[in-house]
Amino acid sequence: MSELLVSNIETRGVPGKRRFAMVIDLRRCIGCDACMTACKAEYDVPLGVFRTWVPYRVVGTYPNVRKQFMPRLCNHCDDPPCVRSCPVGATYKMEDGGFVLQRYERCIGCKACMASCPYNARFMLPKNRTYTDIHSVVDKCTFCHHRVMNNLAPACVQTCIGRSRIFGDLNDPNSEVSHLVNTLPTQVLRPEEGTKPHVFYIGLDRNTSEIGRGIYSAPEVLEEGRNAFGAVKI
Amino acid sequence: MGDYNVFHHIPWTGAYAIYFFTIGISAALFFFSARSWFASCSILEPIRKPAAYVSFVLLVISGLLLISDLSQPMRFLNTMNPFYMNFNSPLAWGGLNLMSFGIVSALYVFMMWKGNDALAKKLGVVGAVLALGLPIYTGFDLTVHQNRPVWNTPLMPVLFVAMSLVSGAAVAIFLALNNASVTKHLRTYMFWSAAAVAVMLIALMGTTAYGGVGAELTFMSLTSGSLSFAFLWVGVILGTIIPIALLLTPVGTNHVGTLAAAALILVGGFALRYSILIGGQVVQSYF
Amino acid sequence: MLEMNRRTFLKVTGTTAAAVAVAPKLVGAMETELGGKDIDPVGAGERVGIPVTCHVCNIQDGAIAYVQDGRIVKLEGNPEHVSTRGRLCAKGNSGMWYTYDPDRITYPLKRVGARGEGKWKRITWDEALKEVAGKLDEAIKEDPNSVFLKYGRNRTGGAIDRFMHTLGSDSILNHTSVCESSKKVGLEPTWGPDIETPDFAHAKYILNFGSNILEAAYFHNPLSQRVMEGTVENKAKLVTFDVRLSNTAGRSDEWIPVFPATDGAIALAMGNVILSNDLQDSDFINTWTNVTVDELKAHYKQYTPEWASKLSGVPVETIERIAREFATTKPATLFTYRGPAKHLYGSYNEKACMMLPIMTGNIEKRGGYCMPRGMGWPQPEPQPPKPAKHAFMNAHHHPDYPLASHGTSHMLPYHIANGDVKVKVYFTYQDNPVYTNPGAQATWGKMFRDEKLIPYYVSMSPFMGEETALADLILPDCPYLERWEPESMPNSLHPWLGIRQPVIKPLGESRENRIILRDIIHTLDPDGSRGMKKYWEFADGEDYMRHHFDNVPKLKEDGGLDFLKKHGVWPIYGKLDGTGKIVDKTGREIEAEYGLHMKELSADEMLGAIVDPTAGTITKNGEAIGVQRNGKNYVGFSTPDRRLNVRVDGWAKYGFNPMPTFKQIPWHKDMQDDEMILTTYKINVHKQSRTAAVKWLAEIMHSNPAWMNSETGKKIGVKTGDLVRVESKVGYVVTKAYVFEGIHPKVIAIPTGFGHWEYGRLANLKHKEKAGGEYGAADDADLNNVWWDDRGVHANAMIPNVVDPIGGSQGWYDTVVKVTKAGPEDKYGDVKGDWDKHMEAYKESLRYAYTGDLHRTMHPEMAAWGGPDSVNQEAAHQAAPAPEKAPEAEAAPAEGAEAAAKEAAH
Ligand SMILES: Nc1nc2c(c(=O)[nH]1)N[C@H]1C(S)=C(S)[C@@H](COP(=O)(O)OP(=O)(O)OC[C@H]3O[C@@H](n4cnc5c(=O)[nH]c(N)nc54)[C@H](O)[C@@H]3O)O[C@H]1N2
Ligand SMILES: Nc1nc2c(c(=O)[nH]1)N[C@H]1C(S)=C(S)[C@@H](COP(=O)(O)OP(=O)(O)OC[C@H]3O[C@@H](n4cnc5c(=O)[nH]c(N)nc54)[C@H](O)[C@@H]3O)O[C@H]1N2
Ligand code: SF4
Ligand code: SF4
Ligand code: SF4
Ligand code: SF4
Ligand code: SF4
Ligand SMILES: [Mo]
Repeated sequence: MSELLVSNIETRGVPGKRRFAMVIDLRRCIGCDACMTACKAEYDVPLGVFRTWVPYRVVGTYPNVRKQFMPRLCNHCDDPPCVRSCPVGATYKMEDGGFVLQRYERCIGCKACMASCPYNARFMLPKNRTYTDIHSVVDKCTFCHHRVMNNLAPACVQTCIGRSRIFGDLNDPNSEVSHLVNTLPTQVLRPEEGTKPHVFYIGLDRNTSEIGRGIYSAPEVLEEGRNAFGAVKI
Repeated sequence: MGDYNVFHHIPWTGAYAIYFFTIGISAALFFFSARSWFASCSILEPIRKPAAYVSFVLLVISGLLLISDLSQPMRFLNTMNPFYMNFNSPLAWGGLNLMSFGIVSALYVFMMWKGNDALAKKLGVVGAVLALGLPIYTGFDLTVHQNRPVWNTPLMPVLFVAMSLVSGAAVAIFLALNNASVTKHLRTYMFWSAAAVAVMLIALMGTTAYGGVGAELTFMSLTSGSLSFAFLWVGVILGTIIPIALLLTPVGTNHVGTLAAAALILVGGFALRYSILIGGQVVQSYF
Repeated sequence: MLEMNRRTFLKVTGTTAAAVAVAPKLVGAMETELGGKDIDPVGAGERVGIPVTCHVCNIQDGAIAYVQDGRIVKLEGNPEHVSTRGRLCAKGNSGMWYTYDPDRITYPLKRVGARGEGKWKRITWDEALKEVAGKLDEAIKEDPNSVFLKYGRNRTGGAIDRFMHTLGSDSILNHTSVCESSKKVGLEPTWGPDIETPDFAHAKYILNFGSNILEAAYFHNPLSQRVMEGTVENKAKLVTFDVRLSNTAGRSDEWIPVFPATDGAIALAMGNVILSNDLQDSDFINTWTNVTVDELKAHYKQYTPEWASKLSGVPVETIERIAREFATTKPATLFTYRGPAKHLYGSYNEKACMMLPIMTGNIEKRGGYCMPRGMGWPQPEPQPPKPAKHAFMNAHHHPDYPLASHGTSHMLPYHIANGDVKVKVYFTYQDNPVYTNPGAQATWGKMFRDEKLIPYYVSMSPFMGEETALADLILPDCPYLERWEPESMPNSLHPWLGIRQPVIKPLGESRENRIILRDIIHTLDPDGSRGMKKYWEFADGEDYMRHHFDNVPKLKEDGGLDFLKKHGVWPIYGKLDGTGKIVDKTGREIEAEYGLHMKELSADEMLGAIVDPTAGTITKNGEAIGVQRNGKNYVGFSTPDRRLNVRVDGWAKYGFNPMPTFKQIPWHKDMQDDEMILTTYKINVHKQSRTAAVKWLAEIMHSNPAWMNSETGKKIGVKTGDLVRVESKVGYVVTKAYVFEGIHPKVIAIPTGFGHWEYGRLANLKHKEKAGGEYGAADDADLNNVWWDDRGVHANAMIPNVVDPIGGSQGWYDTVVKVTKAGPEDKYGDVKGDWDKHMEAYKESLRYAYTGDLHRTMHPEMAAWGGPDSVNQEAAHQAAPAPEKAPEAEAAPAEGAEAAAKEAAH
C-alpha cells in the first residue's frame, strides 16, 4: 500500500501528538442556537460576524416535511489552506492539538486567509466592540483553545442542549470523539477541497451541505437579509 | 427567515480589482520600456521614458492601494519581516516580488534620468523579469484557492500576463502620442495579447460552465446573474471581442480606430479583472 | 512557543495518566470538564463565578454568571443543577444584555408631557416614593381594592402578594390567561397539579400535542435535553401534532399537521381506538380513576376516528396507527402545551390529551407521564392577613368564570371601561399587556392613555417596554442578575430549590423589587403606626432571603442560604459526568423516584383516619390524605378523593361536560374558502416582548414573515417576500409572506416578539437616531455594527378577545382571518386594531360563559343542568381558592406532589 502524501503539519494519527476534533451529531441538533450565543459571549464577538452559526433547511413536500440544522464553525483543518496562504504567519497551526489559531498582533488584514477558507469560517473584526480591545484583524473559531488547555470543553460544546457537539482528542483511541468516528458513519464538509476538516458530522445529508442550485433564484426574504448585510448577490 | 440565517461577506472586494489593473499596466509598461533598449524593439524608444515614469507612478499607486486595503495598513512592514515570512503563501512571494520590483524600478528611473544608460539597460532586464512576475503572482494568488470556481485554474497566471500585456499596450498607445510606428508596433502586441485573452476566456467559460454546481452557479452569475454586465457585456464583448474585431477591420488600423480599441480594451480589462475577482467569491458566500 | 507546547503536553499527559488510574473510562463520555470554571480568552486569567437562576424566560434554569473586572461577561449552565445540567439556551447565554442594555432605566423617571409622549424627568427615590405613597394613601382610604397590581413574570417568591395584602388590596392580577391557563385548568381537577413531567429520557414513544419543546414550552432547556436522550439514545419515537412545522415538528419522527383546535377530537378518537381494541390498562383505570373501564368504553364510543378525521383533517389510518403504537409501546409518554389549550374550549382539549397516558397506565412510570416534582419555601413571619373584601376579579377568580382558577386578566380593560372595576392606582410588574395581550395598543394602550380610567400608573421596570412608556412614574427594578429571589421549578424529575443573587451591585440607582416594595410601605407607614411596617422589617434583599431559607429542614443543616449562595441550588444530587448527566458517587446516573401516588401511608399517619367505603378515600381531620386500594393505604393523587378524576363533577355543576369531550369552535365551522386561521407562536431565540433589544438574539432573528403553505400562496397569488394583508374582524396587519411547505394550508402563522414600537432603540431600530444611555446606562459600541433594518410586525392588535369558559384562557389560536395580496396603499408594518370591535368581541366571548346565552347551545348533552341560577354565586367566587404557596409560580406543584417531592429529595 502506498503512503498518502501527508503535509508536514498534519497531526492526525501522529503518535504522541494530540489531535482535537469536534463531532456534530445532527440527529441531536435541535437548532436552538445556544452554541451561537455562548460563543458570542465567550469572545465578545461583535454583531455581523460569527465564529459558529447554525443554518437550516426545510426539506420535503407537505405534509412530509422536516427541518435540518447544520451547525458550522472552523474545521481546524489538518491541511488548512488559510495557514498556507497567510503571508506573515499570523494564522498558524498548533502542533499540539491541531488548533488553527490567530496571532492578532501580527495580522496585516490582507484577507488572503478568508479568501482561501472554503468554509467562510473567517471574518474581519470590526472597529467597534463592546469591551475587547482587538480590532480590524481577522478572527475565527479557536476550538476554544484557552478552555481546552485548561481541560474545559469548548463553550459551544458545553452549552449544547441537544448534546449534539462532542469534543475531544481523535488521537486518543478511548476518547468519545474516537468512539463516535470509529463506530458511526461520519462526513466532513467539502471533502473534495482536500483540507482534511476536523469537524465530523453524523447524519449529514449532502443535499443539505452542498450549495444548492436554489440560490440562483433565492427567495426574496433571503435576498433582503443579504441586502441588509451588504452581501453580493449571485 | 429563509433557508439561511447567517450571511457572509466576500473577502476580496472591488478595490483589489483596481490594484490588479494598475499593477498589470505598471508591469507591462516597464516591460515595454525595458524592451526598447534592445535592437529588435528599438522602435519603442520614444516611449521608453514616459512608459517607465508612468509605470513607476502606477507602481506607487498600486502599492498604496494594496496597503490601504489592509485592515492594518501600518503593519504592511510585517510582510518583509523575515521571521514572519511564510513561503507557502503566494502573497509572501508577491510581496517580495513587488518590493524588489519597486527598488529596481526606482533605480531604473533614476539611472535613466541621470543618463547612465548601461546600468539602466541592465536594470531594465532585471526589472522586466520582476515585472513579468507581478501578473504571474496575482494569477497565482487566485489559482491557489482550490475552493474557488473561476480562480482555481492553471490558466489564471497566464491570463493575467496576457491581460497585463494587453492593458499595458493600450496605455502605451496613448503614451506614444501620435507616433505611427510605435503605435503600429504596440497595436500588434495589443491584438495578439487580446486574442490570447479571448482564447483563454473561452477556455475559462467552458471549464466554469461544466465544473460542478458551484462553478456552474458562478458561470450563471457571470453570464446571466449580477456579474453578467461586468463580465459578459463589458469584459468579453465590449472590451475583448469588439476591439479585436475593430483591429481586424481597416478602421482599426487608423489612429483613431486604434485609440478607440485601446480605450475599449482598458475598460474591458478592468471589468474582466473585477468580475473574475468577485465571481470567484459570490457563490461561496451562500455556503 | 515550542517550550510552552512541550510543557502543556507534559502536563496534560500527566493528568490523562492520572485520570486513567483513578476512574475507569466511560464509553461515550467526553474527557474535558463541562464547566464550573471559566478562563478569560485574552488575559488567560480565571474568572469569578457566581451561581444564579436564569430568568430570561420563566423556566428558571440554574446558571453561573462569570465576572471579570466588575463586568458580567458570561453565563453558563450550573453543572451542579439537576435539571439544567450545565447548559443554557440561546437566551440564557445572552442574559447579561438585560443588565447592560444601553437603554436600561437606571433611576426613577416621572412623566412630563402627555402619557406616552416619551418625555421624562429624572427624580430622586425620595420624591418617587413620596409621590407613590401619597397616591396609595388616598386610594386605600377610599377602597383598598382600587389599588391594582398586574404582574407577568413574578418570581418574587411572595413579595408581591405580601405588598398588596399589606395595603389590604385583593386586586392582584397575573398574566396566566394569555399564557397557558387552560392547560392548567384542563389538568388540575383530574390529578391535582397543573403540569406534567414527561419522562422523555426513558420513554419509547412520545406523543406531543402542540408543544414546541425544542424551542419554547415549559421547559425548553431541561426537556429538550431529555427529548434528545430519549429519541437518540433510547430510540424513542417522537410524534408531533402541530399546525405548522415548528423546530420540534421538524425534528420529530412524524409531524402530523392538524386543523387548529381539533387536538381534543384526535385524542378522543385515539382513546376510542385504544378502548375498542382493548389496548387500555384496565387494572390502572379501575384502581386509580373514578370511572370504570366499562364506563369509559361506553363514553368513548361516540368519538370515532372518522368523526375526528373529518374535523382535524388527519387521516383515519393515521389516527388508528398512532393510537395503536402509543398503546402498545411501553413506556410511552405524552406532552402538550399551548397548542391544544389556547382555544375557546382549550381545557377540554387538554383533558382529552391527558386521558391517553391515563387509560394506558403510563402514569408515574419510568419513561411515562409523571407528576411534577418541586419544592416550596416558607414565608417570613409575620404575614399580612388576606384582604377583607374580594375584588371583582383577580388572579384566581372572575364572576363569570368560576372554574378559571388562574384568572382571566385579559378581560380587564373592558371591565374597567364598563365601570365594573374602579382603578385609582395601577402598578405593572414584568407585564407588558400593551404588547402581549389581545388588542395590544388598541385595547390596553387605549386604556392606559385614558387618565379617567387609570388615574395613576406606576411601572416597576428597568426597560421602556410598551407598557412602561405609558406610565406616570417608572421605578427602576433590577434585571435578574442583580436581584435576590427564591426559586423552584418542576422542570425535571428531581425537585430542587434555587436562588437568584446579585452578581454585581445594582447599576445606577436601580433597586430590586422587594426593596422597592419595602420602601413604599416604609414611606407609607414610617413609624409602624398603621400596622404595615411590621411585615417589611428586612434590612436588605439578602436578609429577606434568610427569612425564607434559613429554617427549611435539611437545607438548614446543610447551611441554609449560605449553601445556596455558594451552589445556587439545593440539593446537589451528584456530579455532572462526561456524558452530560448527573451521576452519583459510583458513576451511575441518579434515578428518579417513580410511583409517587403509590407511597404507602404509615401506621402513624393512618392513626385516626377514616376510609370511605366506596371511593376508598382516607380522610383525617376532615382532610383527604390518601386512598385505600387492594387493601393498601396509598397517598394517591392530590385531588379531593385522592383518585384520578376522569369525571370532573365540579365541571358539571356549571353545565360543562364532566367527561372527556370536544367542542368544535363555532366560527370555524363554516369558514369561507378565502379564510384562514392565524397562529402566533414563539421561536427559539426570543422571549415574549422582552428580548427584542438583546443584541445577539435580535441578530439571529429580527423579522417575522408570515408563514403560509405553497398551495395557499398559489391560490392567492403570493410568493415569498410579497406583502400580504392579514385581516380579522377587529383589525389587520400588513406583512411579508414566507411561502413554503411547512404549514397547514388553512393556517397562517406570525411569530410573536417582533414589531416593537417601544422597548429601546434596538427593538424599534432607532439606534441610529439617538445614542444609548438616555436613562443612565452605558452605551455599547457594538450597536454600530447592527446590520439589519427590519424589525418585523406585531399581530396582537388584530387578535380579538376570546375566553375559554372553563379555563379562562385567551383563545390566541382561533382567529379567523382573510389573507390577501397587499393593496397599493398598504405599507409593510401597518397595524390596526379597533377598540369598538374589540369591545364587541369581548361581549361575544361572554356569551360562552356559564352565565352566557350560548353555553347551553354548546352543551346539548348537559340538558339536565339547572342553569346558572342553580349555582350559588357567592360559592362560585370561592370555588377557585388561591393556591397557598408561591402563587406566582406558574408551574408550582400541588401540595401532594410537593410533599412527595420533598421526600424524594434527600
Ligand atoms: N424561546 C422561548 N421559550 C419560551 C417562551 C418564549 O417566549 N420563547 N415562553 C415561555 C412561555 S411563557 C410559555 S407559555 C411557553 C409556551 O410554549 P409552547 O406552548 O410550546 O409554545 P407556543 O408557541 O405558545 O405554542 C406551541 C405550538 O402550538 C402550535 N399550535 C397553534 N395552534 C395549535 C393547535 O390547534 N393544535 C396544535 N397541536 N398546535 C397548535 C403552534 O404552531 C406552536 O408551535 O414557552 C416558554 N418558553
Ligand atoms: N399573539 C400572541 N401573544 C402572546 C402569546 C402568543 O403566543 N401569541 N404568548 C403569551 C404568553 S405565553 C405570555 S406568558 C405572555 C407574556 O406577556 P408579559 O407577561 O406581558 O411578558 P413580557 O413580555 O415578558 O413582559 C415584559 C415586560 O416586563 C418588564 N421587564 C422585563 N424585564 C424585567 C425585569 O428584569 N424586571 C422588571 N421589573 N421588569 C422587567 C418590561 O417592562 C417589559 O415590558 O404573552 C402572551 N402574548
Ligand atoms: S475551516 Fe477554514 S479557517 Fe478553519 S482551518 Fe480550515 S481553512 Fe482554516
Ligand atoms: S488577514 Fe491576517 S491572518 Fe489572514 S492572511 Fe492576512 S495576515 Fe494572515
Ligand atoms: S469551539 Fe469555541 S470558538 Fe469555536 S465555535 Fe465553539 S465556542 Fe466558538
Ligand atoms: S447548541 Fe447544540 S443543539 Fe443547539 S443549535 Fe447548537 S449544536 Fe444544535
Ligand atoms: S430556557 Fe433559556 S432563557 Fe429560559 S431559563 Fe432556561 S436558559 Fe434561561
Ligand atoms: Mo406563557
